[in-house]
Amino acid sequence: MKLIHKLEPLWWILFGAGAFVLCFVLPALILGVLVLGDSSLMADGLSYERALRLASNPIGKLFLIVVPTLGFWHCAHHFRHLMLDFFGHAAAPIGAYGGYGLALLGTIVTVSTVLAL
Amino acid sequence: MSAAHATAPKTPTAPARKPSGFPLGFYRYRNYTIFAFTSIPMAISLACLVIGVGALGQGEEAWQAWLARQATPAFRAVHLFCLAFTLYFAIRFGWVGRKIGAGRIGPLPPPPLPLPLLGIAPIGGFVTVWLVLVVILGGWLS
Repeated sequence: MKLIHKLEPLWWILFGAGAFVLCFVLPALILGVLVLGDSSLMADGLSYERALRLASNPIGKLFLIVVPTLGFWHCAHHFRHLMLDFFGHAAAPIGAYGGYGLALLGTIVTVSTVLAL
Repeated sequence: MSAAHATAPKTPTAPARKPSGFPLGFYRYRNYTIFAFTSIPMAISLACLVIGVGALGQGEEAWQAWLARQATPAFRAVHLFCLAFTLYFAIRFGWVGRKIGAGRIGPLPPPPLPLPLLGIAPIGGFVTVWLVLVVILGGWLS
């Protein structure tokens, strides 16, 4: 846990940046893609050709890397503190290594998925 | 540091314990706990979106199948659940943000706007960006 504590400023930067990004875009992405994605409202906008065009241009790729990656690190830090709040210091390693480990995995999967477009 | 100071016994302190009513028994604790819990639904949504990008990379058939799967009742329920917590997170984040302005009262100049406005302004900014993004995603202007 010493390394985790030593890197606290890094976790906080990722946490803060992730919170900021998620507030601005995540509700719209959930509503527009996950909830309404298959409806007639989004049929033209999320047609395969248009979606691929949006996602595979350099700005789209940057967006699709930055949003989930920072989001995962934000969630990991919040999850770590949720574990601490509920289960105390005994759960600190699970919250820290589990949360940050999943965020690292999410980052690798996100970057490789987006770069493969 | 003197030798006497170095060997002085530490001040005895009680072990840390949770406040009475934590985590859900008092509205301030409840808000704090729900705010931290939002990390789980938001992570689920992000994972779903990354899976969607993967489907997009696999071709039109995989993309259409992924979109259709999101519209099934079970997936839709999960997405609405996650959306509710994400909205709670964003609105609370914007509303708590006004206290950053309040923290500057003292030797530094007071906030330039009344406090409620400092809370409403970021939430208004979020909602504007959400609308713009949904319009872009829907292709409603093209």
